[in-house]
Amino acid sequence: MSGEYLAFLALALVAITGGVLMLNLTKVVHMVIALVFTFISIAGLYVLLSAEFVAVVQVLIYSGAVTIMMLFGIMLTRHQEEEGEKTTTGGFWRKALTAIAVFAFGIAVYLGVYRLDFGEEGARLHENNTEQIGMALYSHYTIPFEIASVILLVALVGAIILAKKDDEGAPKS
Amino acid sequence: MEQLLNSVPSWTNVAIFFGLGAALLLMVLAFVTYGILAERKVMGFMQGRYGPNQVGGRWGLLQTVADVLKLLLKEDTIPKAADRPLFILAPILAFAPAFMVLAVLPFTDAFQFADIGVGLLYYIAVSGLTTIGVVTGGWASNNKYALIGGMRAAAQMISYEIPLVMSVLGVVLLTGSLNLNDIVEAQKNVWYIFTQPVAFIVFLIAAVSELNRTPFDLPEAESELVAGFHVEYSGFRWAFFMLAEYVYLFAMAALTTILFLGGWHPVMFLGFIPGPVWFALKFSVVVFVLIWFRATFPRLRADQLMELGWKVLFPVALANIFVTALVKELFF
Repeated sequence: MSGEYLAFLALALVAITGGVLMLNLTKVVHMVIALVFTFISIAGLYVLLSAEFVAVVQVLIYSGAVTIMMLFGIMLTRHQEEEGEKTTTGGFWRKALTAIAVFAFGIAVYLGVYRLDFGEEGARLHENNTEQIGMALYSHYTIPFEIASVILLVALVGAIILAKKDDEGAPKS
Repeated sequence: MEQLLNSVPSWTNVAIFFGLGAALLLMVLAFVTYGILAERKVMGFMQGRYGPNQVGGRWGLLQTVADVLKLLLKEDTIPKAADRPLFILAPILAFAPAFMVLAVLPFTDAFQFADIGVGLLYYIAVSGLTTIGVVTGGWASNNKYALIGGMRAAAQMISYEIPLVMSVLGVVLLTGSLNLNDIVEAQKNVWYIFTQPVAFIVFLIAAVSELNRTPFDLPEAESELVAGFHVEYSGFRWAFFMLAEYVYLFAMAALTTILFLGGWHPVMFLGFIPGPVWFALKFSVVVFVLIWFRATFPRLRADQLMELGWKVLFPVALANIFVTALVKELFF
């Protein structure tokens, strides 16, 4: 029972609880807050794996992303609570098939995780991992990295054009 | 501290770290108490009035203590139509990151808690989490002013975090490390305020904005939004939001000292004065400048705020990175 194991248990518990709550809660903002807990505890898991750079970037990206998502959640959804009927429709066979699929997926992931083998080279990756990520990114993977930035740029320009189109219909002020 | 960090984990270590954390919290609370008093005194001086001068002698030394006591005794109200769980959770979400951030700041070479490789990024990442608390609080209050305040906080955080990170990249490029200890060590001879003046100015403006202080205090603009995102909060929950704000003031002033003013390194010839004194002096200067800003600048309009962030600070910070990279490539 080492400290690392305890920390893992706590973080994993928070991550899973966040995920389950996210699926079960009814209000959008509540779901987003549940998601925050999942993301932060995943960052904690990265720290346990000595991937501090990835952990910090996870928090950096998702704190901004989640805030934006929350704003969309507030702005684009109706606030009147609609307590609709939540009984699942579908017959016995459908439910059984879903259950089988869930179990099959679980078993596949379990087997996959246990058979996973990263080889021997992973032993020294935790030292100076920020520097190592930079080296790898800018020497071996420069072109994928640049392509990703071009795609982001296209998305940005596309968003601006889409937002601009709305304006033309409106009277000019 | 170094050997403590590398020792085998045990309950003694837990107790030691808990004690140290509690000591730091008390220190920060003391700063917040007298920081608020200093702010009111300095602002009073700049506006030609006295400021607090009744409670605790001529200088009002116990004024903030009395205020905190009043807050503790106040009725804790939760609006009927508020979203109860989130309303309770929001102040905690806002305050916890403010204190977590302090863990990586090296106050002197001996007095620091965690020496992690990505200290600078950690600070910026974790401080961004507070905005989630602010937006949550604004939404959970079920009040239109609070909601507008929360929305503004989110927009401001998104647009000013980018120039903040970009301006710091110049310093990171020159140091070649994200570790705050390495950054201080690299300023042994020349402080970065002299080699990176543009970055310093962009950083200071973006920092004031991240702190939600005048001239960028749109999320809590009293004259427009009643009180901003914390209209519905009272008593100690409200105090938590305030506390988070002043702990960030502490953290941001410390970070500015570390990044641009050479941390605990002395000015030349004056090496006989110990490092902690130097750090405290520089830190106080930064805090004073931030209070000065608050007393002298008028508040920006929301569209001016966005324009300044995206059309001025962002390009300037980018150009600064470009020039720094060129200079480093050519001359070092």
